[in-house]
Amino acid sequence: MLRNFRTERLVALVLVAPFLAIYLLTFVYPTVQMFRISFTDAPLIGTGRWVGLDNYLRLDNDPMFRRALWNTAYFVLMTVVPGTLIALLIALGVSRLKGRFQSIVLALFFLPYILPVSVVYLIWDWTLNFQFGIAMHVLDWLGIPRVPVFKSRLWFLPAVAGVTIWWTAGFSILLFLAGLRSIPAEIYEAAALDNSTRWTTFRRITWPLLWPITSLVFTIQLILQLKIFDQVYLFSIGGRPNDNMVLVYYVFQKAFQQNQGGRAAAVAVTLFVLVVVVSVLQFQLLRFAERRRR
Amino acid sequence: MNFRRMMAVAMVAAGGFWSVAAQAEETVAWWDFLGGGDGVRMKQMISDFNAAHAGKIKIDATTLEWGTPFYAKVQTSAGVGEAPDVMTYHASRIPLAVSQDILEEITADDMSKMGLSASDFAQTTMDAVTVDGKQYAVPLDTHPIVLYYNRDLLKKAGVLGADGRPMGMKNKEEFTATLQKLKDAGVEFPLGSVTADGNFMYRTIYSLVCQQGGELLTGNEFLAGDNPEKLEKALAVLQGWTKAGLQSTYTDYPATVALFTSGKAAMMINGVWEVPTMTDLAKQGKLFDWGAVEIPVIFDKPCTYADSHSFAIPKNKGKGISPQKRAAVLEVISWMDKHSLFWATAGHIPAYKPVTETAEYKAMEPNATYSPLTANMIFDPKSPKAGVAGPIFDIMSNYFVPTLNGEMDPGEAVKSIKEELNSM
Repeated sequence: MLRNFRTERLVALVLVAPFLAIYLLTFVYPTVQMFRISFTDAPLIGTGRWVGLDNYLRLDNDPMFRRALWNTAYFVLMTVVPGTLIALLIALGVSRLKGRFQSIVLALFFLPYILPVSVVYLIWDWTLNFQFGIAMHVLDWLGIPRVPVFKSRLWFLPAVAGVTIWWTAGFSILLFLAGLRSIPAEIYEAAALDNSTRWTTFRRITWPLLWPITSLVFTIQLILQLKIFDQVYLFSIGGRPNDNMVLVYYVFQKAFQQNQGGRAAAVAVTLFVLVVVVSVLQFQLLRFAERRRR
Repeated sequence: MNFRRMMAVAMVAAGGFWSVAAQAEETVAWWDFLGGGDGVRMKQMISDFNAAHAGKIKIDATTLEWGTPFYAKVQTSAGVGEAPDVMTYHASRIPLAVSQDILEEITADDMSKMGLSASDFAQTTMDAVTVDGKQYAVPLDTHPIVLYYNRDLLKKAGVLGADGRPMGMKNKEEFTATLQKLKDAGVEFPLGSVTADGNFMYRTIYSLVCQQGGELLTGNEFLAGDNPEKLEKALAVLQGWTKAGLQSTYTDYPATVALFTSGKAAMMINGVWEVPTMTDLAKQGKLFDWGAVEIPVIFDKPCTYADSHSFAIPKNKGKGISPQKRAAVLEVISWMDKHSLFWATAGHIPAYKPVTETAEYKAMEPNATYSPLTANMIFDPKSPKAGVAGPIFDIMSNYFVPTLNGEMDPGEAVKSIKEELNSM
């Protein structure tokens, strides 16, 4: 059959055009603008003078930026690996259940994921508020002194990390379950015939065959948690936001509270580069690990 | 036949009247950040205004979230010509707004059109809305912080004076003794303090610095001369109360109000805007006998932090305001100021002096009790970095929380605050 490539190309272009137009307008154009503004001293609205690399050089000497960087790294450390492992453990447990009971348990674990972040904040504030939180009454009853969880430097990020894992684990569990179901039952039967212990079965069969899913969950989590903002913002309200500073919050503070669009853009570009570098690096590492096992 | 003609004439006349009315009605887009008990009262005033100006001016009001969200939105919308026609504004934020060029000047001509003059307002309040000799807003009120107290608890502890006010309001030792007596009488928190919110505590701490004759900004330098010592002393007093177990720790704003209204805290330093909360609860019979007075003198002289809600006209970029619209906006501002007696039920002290001089206002409680403090008010330093939810607020508050809860030494906090403020 003869094919008219020109017509096909035209049709393809027409079909792709709406997406392309929106993508260029709402993603590419603002991104280019962000890079451009980061070299100026623009306020939040309006244009500024060209200042070259000044905004970036300032970051080197900026204690708040360093704190934001460190806090973000600390938060990623506390959420990504533990969050992935916890989701894997729960998925392994849920996959052993059968029928309707399995669906109910899965639904219970998935429930927090559908909540908006503001509701998550209210639930946990209600639980852990220093004066009125229900958990504080439990501490009183046990004779342990109350802990100002969201108001102290020591507890804030670990607590928010815990809440984040509780909130987002549902989605990872779902991915892991799908992965577990795609492992053929025959392999497990063969292993059972060989008298393989449960640990060996996990180590030699489940873990390697689940690896693509594990690295996917890991990557999604990593990118998501590097961009942490909502929870930190909400839990810091009326508290000490500067101690809990993370990178996206710093962008918000610079742009909207301090009216320094150029410097905010410089922080945003830094975060952008950081996310790209970390995810590429992580992807290469995971691929390397996979190849070595073969 | 005659009847039909009459009908036709009547209909044409009615139609004509209708279209004239429709043309003449000017809609004024209004933004405010009044979400609490005062917001309810403002909505009442707006609907009263609309009723009084039916067919002429209609206010289309929107309430946005207080603080950074409100001011970020005002700034961005003025930048693209989408700002409202009139908005509420904190006097303390005006220098910042002027540096961003988002406010229209209020001219002497505007003032006379509104039937207002500068002498209708307190000197300090008028000064707070003026930058470089130009006026940028019309003050509606001043809202200082006050000391709320629970008469029942104070009486039980024997620290209620014969005049129905708390005892020991003259100096630090006496006031601390009052707190101690409340503690000894079994009150869980003698003083409810918003110790988890440095932004809020800024108001109390700045008052205490002023009570020593200190200031935050001298020329272009923050905490110049002996001002760091004064700030340190203020922080030390508050930290001392925490260490003696005399005030609530790590308590956020809503929790502080709840501690007071539930009778767990005997006293509370808070803004006058909580007055409606108390009056409304008392009306429902859910509150104890309460009062509000000027905050105690801890150092050398009485001084209280205050800010002012004012009305400002945004400068819409690339879009001027028509003379008719401007006239309508001026009528709105003028009417609100002249009817601000009702606004006083929200706790705020009306800025328009003819209102506070009326017999009705003077009979209003607890407003009349704390109104004399207007003689001892201090506003924020006039700087583009000042203002509620502004950069100064932000930096200082960050060190207040650990200090007030006993985690950080006051001296260390002051040193860091000074460094950060001056490197802004």
